[in-house]
Amino acid sequence: MQRNRWQFHLVIRALAYRRGRTFLLIAVLSMAASLATALGIVSLTMEKRVAEEIRKYGANLIIMPEKARISIGSGGLNFGEFSEATYLNQVKTEDAIIRSGIQLEHSLHLSGTLRRGAADILVEGVNFEVIRRLFPWWHIQGSWPNGAEAVIGSRLAARLGIKVGEELELLGVAGVVRPRVAGIVNTGGEEDDLLYLALPELQQVSGRSGQLTLVRLLVTAGGERLKTAMDRLGPLLSGAVVKEVRQVARTSEGLLAKVKLLMMLATVVVLISAGSSVAGTMSASILERGKEIGLMKAMGGGRLNILLLFCGEALLLGVTGGITGYLIGNVIALFIMQTVFAAPPGFISWLVWASMGVSLFLALAGSAGPLVSVFRLDPVRSLRGE
Amino acid sequence: MMDVLIETRGLTRNYGEICALKPLDLRVNNGEWLSIMGHSGSGKSTLLNLLGGLDRPSDGFIRVGGEDLRVLSEDGMARYRREFVGIIFQQHHLIPYLTAVENIMMAQYFHSVPDEAEARTALERVGLGHRLKNRPGELSGGEQQRVCIARAIINSPRLLLGDEPTGNLDHGSTRVVMELLSELRAEEQFTIIMVTHNHEVAAWGDRTIYLDDGVMVREELKGD
Amino acid sequence: MGALKLTVLILAWGGIIIVLGRGFSVNRLLLAVSNATGFAAGVAVGALLLSTLQGDASFAVAKAVLSALFLLHWLVSLAALYRSTGEGTTVERFQKMSNNPLSAACCSIAVGILAGTICSFRFIPQGGEVPLLTVVIVGFSGVCLTAFFFGVEQFVPKMPVPTAEVLMAIVVSFILFASSSIPRLDLFSPLVMKVMKLIHDIVHQFFESMLIPDHLFFRPEVWNYIGLLFGNRVGLWGGMLIWFTPVLLVAAAIRLERLPSVAHIRQGAERRTLLKAHIRERRTRLVAPLIAGVMLAAAVFQSRFPAVEYWDPKPLKVAATPSGSIFIPLTGEIDLKDGKIHKFLFKERGRDARFMVLQNSAGGYTVTLDACSICKPDGYGQTEGAVICYYCKTLIPLETVGKPGGCNPVPVPFMMEKNGIAIDGAALLNLWGITVQATNRVKGAAR
Repeated sequence: MQRNRWQFHLVIRALAYRRGRTFLLIAVLSMAASLATALGIVSLTMEKRVAEEIRKYGANLIIMPEKARISIGSGGLNFGEFSEATYLNQVKTEDAIIRSGIQLEHSLHLSGTLRRGAADILVEGVNFEVIRRLFPWWHIQGSWPNGAEAVIGSRLAARLGIKVGEELELLGVAGVVRPRVAGIVNTGGEEDDLLYLALPELQQVSGRSGQLTLVRLLVTAGGERLKTAMDRLGPLLSGAVVKEVRQVARTSEGLLAKVKLLMMLATVVVLISAGSSVAGTMSASILERGKEIGLMKAMGGGRLNILLLFCGEALLLGVTGGITGYLIGNVIALFIMQTVFAAPPGFISWLVWASMGVSLFLALAGSAGPLVSVFRLDPVRSLRGE
Repeated sequence: MMDVLIETRGLTRNYGEICALKPLDLRVNNGEWLSIMGHSGSGKSTLLNLLGGLDRPSDGFIRVGGEDLRVLSEDGMARYRREFVGIIFQQHHLIPYLTAVENIMMAQYFHSVPDEAEARTALERVGLGHRLKNRPGELSGGEQQRVCIARAIINSPRLLLGDEPTGNLDHGSTRVVMELLSELRAEEQFTIIMVTHNHEVAAWGDRTIYLDDGVMVREELKGD
Repeated sequence: MGALKLTVLILAWGGIIIVLGRGFSVNRLLLAVSNATGFAAGVAVGALLLSTLQGDASFAVAKAVLSALFLLHWLVSLAALYRSTGEGTTVERFQKMSNNPLSAACCSIAVGILAGTICSFRFIPQGGEVPLLTVVIVGFSGVCLTAFFFGVEQFVPKMPVPTAEVLMAIVVSFILFASSSIPRLDLFSPLVMKVMKLIHDIVHQFFESMLIPDHLFFRPEVWNYIGLLFGNRVGLWGGMLIWFTPVLLVAAAIRLERLPSVAHIRQGAERRTLLKAHIRERRTRLVAPLIAGVMLAAAVFQSRFPAVEYWDPKPLKVAATPSGSIFIPLTGEIDLKDGKIHKFLFKERGRDARFMVLQNSAGGYTVTLDACSICKPDGYGQTEGAVICYYCKTLIPLETVGKPGGCNPVPVPFMMEKNGIAIDGAALLNLWGITVQATNRVKGAAR
């Protein structure tokens, strides 16, 4: 048998012999590692989501009717219940934007539902030219629409089984449209669930001529100018509010900060207690195994050689604890994300290394003291059972 | 074959105030079987530990097989133990989580590389061919001691030390173990130094020395 | 910076000499002389190549030779792996070759020629007359270094006897290390580029033949994974795989080699002691491939982070005329006629685009984006006779700037006017937008 394999075999045998203690150590280590993992997953996922939310709006200001509600959580704007919905006046809004004299680009949006067969579809009216210019992340399969054509979100398309080139029949309050689907948009965001029509067409078919639900504004440069733009636009608009997109995301940022703090505290407490319990268990184990170590020394085992075997045990415990910790951490993260944020956690594979690091660090740091005593142990005394 | 393997002059070992071994001059020839007798606390185990490289003398000169044990480093001592000495203990210390074969492979591993086939042969040699895969807990005292003997001689030591190897065994097992040792010695020609209470066991040796309170009080040659 | 590159070359040559000195057990003087002769000849060959061949050809020739060497290295290590499973040790086989003065001399001369050529490419300017003085200086210092390193060799700790393939692995790794210090002789970047292109082509073929137009077959997540295949990372890792495999094969060959039999020793302890010694000896022989691996890694590092200073002007901001076109005068604030790249940054309505203008050797002008269609738009820098893509470190010869494809900068349509160049602003922005859609970042002004 090869030396390396033999060493591995020895370590496994030693751990298997003290099954209870091994499980205890692995449990402690994986608990610490799993909390660290869960903390990492939750904070990274949420940070990414907050950043994505800001990015997805594309615009950094939005104008919306005063009474429309914004809810955040499931990934973007939810346009509320349409019975309550209020609308912006297109002419007045555009006028206000021009009068404000601010250099900005804007995109007009009207949301509504149209009936296709037996189902309602969420439809948004936009100006495709503007969209194409302002939202470069729109990834269109097929082509950009001309005239009365439509663009459909990829998830919606998959759900309804709609393909490029198909003609849809959509029934609105004030008429019927039959747009051809020119392309399928895939942004990874809420756009994937909507059907896009040319704005005038939707306004007409849903009987909301000259009405809008949302205007997105792109003010180049940040900070100060954003503030000035808000201040100047605000008074010009009646029945509408201007909001910074960041505001929308701030709610979840605050919640995230609290959850993160809580988890951080929990992790620190668990790390400290896990560290000390590992140290305690390890030193008890080494004391108990004094005879065995003395015997190994008497047989001619070098100090480094014996140290290697015991380090091997700590390493194996650490790695196992790290991996199980990562798996459990994912479950914990799933639980936290679903109860607190009502969103799925991300899958972050590199955290397995972080988890392993935490676990290994604890295992090695916890056994550092006992390992030193292995190094020092006097074979004569330990064999006599002192 | 009558060259000197072990030579000590004024060998002393103090544990704090207590003097476990008073200046001792001893010569052991290569291939000799030496028995050491004495009461508990007479310093016989201390002497054995010094000879086995498990302990260091407080004073005096000790040379085994041309190796001056006083100047060896910690790692040098470990090398001396694995290449030169085989030790059999009273409480047949075996590693509890390893099988008989694996216990022997452990000694091989510290010495060079583990070799399972050789370890099996060694166990068969001591009559334990049927107990290869048993853990120490599943073996009787005599069997355990035979595993210890196989382990002690697996690396072909020049010096075999026994610390009351039959202390825990019944009469029958004692006899088996002693016969085995005698046979092995005839084959492998190692030197045996054995500490014992038992006159019958001591009688297997070529020479017996008596220690009392750390001093050698009497020396008996076989047939005296 | 220059000193650093010089150190690289000296180190490489020193390493080669010490390894050859260790590998061949023939007369030291014979080795030294053949090494020195080879080196001097190499310098001459390099000078001749540079003066006779036009444009990129001399570099192409040298690179072809290096590639052939690398390929040979691959084959030799494959053969080594195959043989290691057979009878007899490679060490014994190598003894014969190592003792033969003829083979030693031939190897030394060949290696010397290669090293000399690489050095000459570093010091001798391209084209025109052969600068005799430089040639003599380079050749002479090479010879002096040879003598010096043969002196040093005696003090280097004894290495375990290498086998032919180990010797080859080390020498090749040192040569590649040296050549990677000269961007135009670097093999690793083109390798990465080739791998990247190959994967692109395969994926494209796959989709063209089977799955287009039905893209909807995949969910967006799947597309993300397919997108991974197009990343620069894949090219890099693929390239590394090809780059390091021969050394790994050589190491595997050593590891798999059968240990000398110890069965004839009866006594167990003695037998095991000997076995352990054999295992240890085999392990020390792995040091040689390890050194080769380290040198190859150093070559990769040099290739990824070349110690070359690039001509990289800060992009000049330009604005469009009311009609939407950008006009850049040939002379004025910036002189376009100097054969260097000139970068410009065009900003309009929150969108921007970076482009560059270059006068080619024929006197015409090319306008390209400061980005290519494959990589992230990290831009280009200019070195001698080429521009380099900062992202994938590919060298694009100046002659081919303005042609589309690969990592060439994306050409921009423009109008040549009497005393300047006119570019359509909107078209430029759109071209930039389409090209860098994936990353959607412009770092121009920051640079």
